[in-house]
Amino acid sequence: MNIRAPGFFIAIILSIFALASARAELKWEQTALELRPAVGDKEAVGHFKYENIGKTPVRFKSVHSSCGCTAAQTQKDEVAPGEKGEITATFKIGDRTGTQVKTVTVQAEDPANVTTVLTLKAVLPEMLSINPTFVYWTAGEEAKPKTIRVKAGKDFPAKNLSVTSSNPEFLTKVESASEGEWKINVQPKETTRAMAGALTIKPDFPKESPKLFYANVSVTGAVAPAPVRVAPTATPGGH
Amino acid sequence: MNSRVVRQALVLVALAFVPAIGQAIYFRDKVSWQSPIPASESVTVVQARAWGANAVWLDARPDEEFARDHVPGALSLNEDHWNELLPQFLATWSPEKKVVVYCSSQSCNASREVARKLRSEAQLKDVFVLQGGWEEWLKSKK
Amino acid sequence: MNSSSPVLIESPNADSTARSKSYFAFRLIEFILGGVFIYAGAIKAWDPIGFANDIDNYKILPWVIGVRLAFYLPWLEILCGLALITHRFYVGGLAILTALVSIFMVATIAAKIRGLDITCGCFGHASKNLNFSWHLALDLVLLATLLVVYVRAASGNGLSLKKNPYDQKT
Repeated sequence: MNIRAPGFFIAIILSIFALASARAELKWEQTALELRPAVGDKEAVGHFKYENIGKTPVRFKSVHSSCGCTAAQTQKDEVAPGEKGEITATFKIGDRTGTQVKTVTVQAEDPANVTTVLTLKAVLPEMLSINPTFVYWTAGEEAKPKTIRVKAGKDFPAKNLSVTSSNPEFLTKVESASEGEWKINVQPKETTRAMAGALTIKPDFPKESPKLFYANVSVTGAVAPAPVRVAPTATPGGH
Repeated sequence: MNSRVVRQALVLVALAFVPAIGQAIYFRDKVSWQSPIPASESVTVVQARAWGANAVWLDARPDEEFARDHVPGALSLNEDHWNELLPQFLATWSPEKKVVVYCSSQSCNASREVARKLRSEAQLKDVFVLQGGWEEWLKSKK
Repeated sequence: MNSSSPVLIESPNADSTARSKSYFAFRLIEFILGGVFIYAGAIKAWDPIGFANDIDNYKILPWVIGVRLAFYLPWLEILCGLALITHRFYVGGLAILTALVSIFMVATIAAKIRGLDITCGCFGHASKNLNFSWHLALDLVLLATLLVVYVRAASGNGLSLKKNPYDQKT
């Protein structure tokens, strides 16, 4: 290998790099934001700030997010040189759990077509983990109680749990297993016909408006179920 | 000198195969070697339709898209209103049914997320993601 | 320069302190460089499925090939990083790493031009937050360091490549 080769190589790579960066006129303060919403928050909002460090105005061709749950908005469609602004990404948490990563793709033009991907990472608080969220009996199966384990996460200091069933044919009993852990025992009165219900799990946290969780139960089978209200009992201020 | 570089490079290239193959053997059942989604977790439109009444179709797209149009008989189940929509699906579910989850196209993540939650949280078996999603189903209707 | 005995030519004005200082500085660079590649390779080897998905996102290789590469490349990277540190198969490792970083940079630029949404994958999902320019800059630094090391090994201080570099035997 010729000793001059590395120099040539470096020159090529450097010029490609220079070319790629010269065209960018929007400087982003951060293109990736990590948010930690609190228990009870309905949304997580990320502010992606930018500045036009070029000499010509930049126009936003399109701003769209990776999913319907994240609304991305720009305050202005055109950014003059030297002007600053931000793209606001509002992530509707809904019933999601865990760490959610959503992206917003911004396409700008004038002078060049530059696509920037903004990443919003929402680390949702660990609340109650319910395992499993669904228990069932097949028609004719012995109506023995089945267990749902509930565990409080470190961000969720609940001390007590109460459980109500939307369908009175399913009986529930809560026992405390250990600090922050419970066992919910569910049992259908009978398994002769198909029926379903939802369990509303109500912890004592947050004190002012406890967050509700749900589990589902059913007796499955080919027999048409008697009309039973299966939706969880909604409370004002809940989701 | 060139041959020295090549010789050494070849040795390294060959040596790397040893741990690589070992790891591949360890992962042999955990990876889909032919297509991006594990074979046992996805299904083609043709296959899903062949299941007929035994299949339950779930639309993982946002509410507005579901309202506009959806697979006839499909139920809406998305992450935005998971708690509200899950019970009505589970009320119709029984162990012999096959669950087919779809969303906007192969690369959309919602159907995979919904399928994952059904498998891990609700512990359902036979949950499949529709290959090609809504678009593929539309194509098969013609 | 065809002698079979090791060649270690000292420049007549070599100061032994200066030479050993630059020797250790250089050794340090090799350790860091090798370490970076061992680390990057280990992160990818830890999650081959994640890496396979990252490769697939570039939409250059079909999945069938990408998934097999995902199991293979990390180990190659680790071995080459080791080569830099242990001075075994040194130039071979150097050549492979240079090729890997270059190919990767070209693929990244190509993906960017095509407007693909890629999260690097070179440092595993840990680098999800680094944006395009920073990634390119990092790779440029790696590439430049690799080339500097190569040039050094090929010429500077009269060390011959016919034997293991820094061979101190006379």
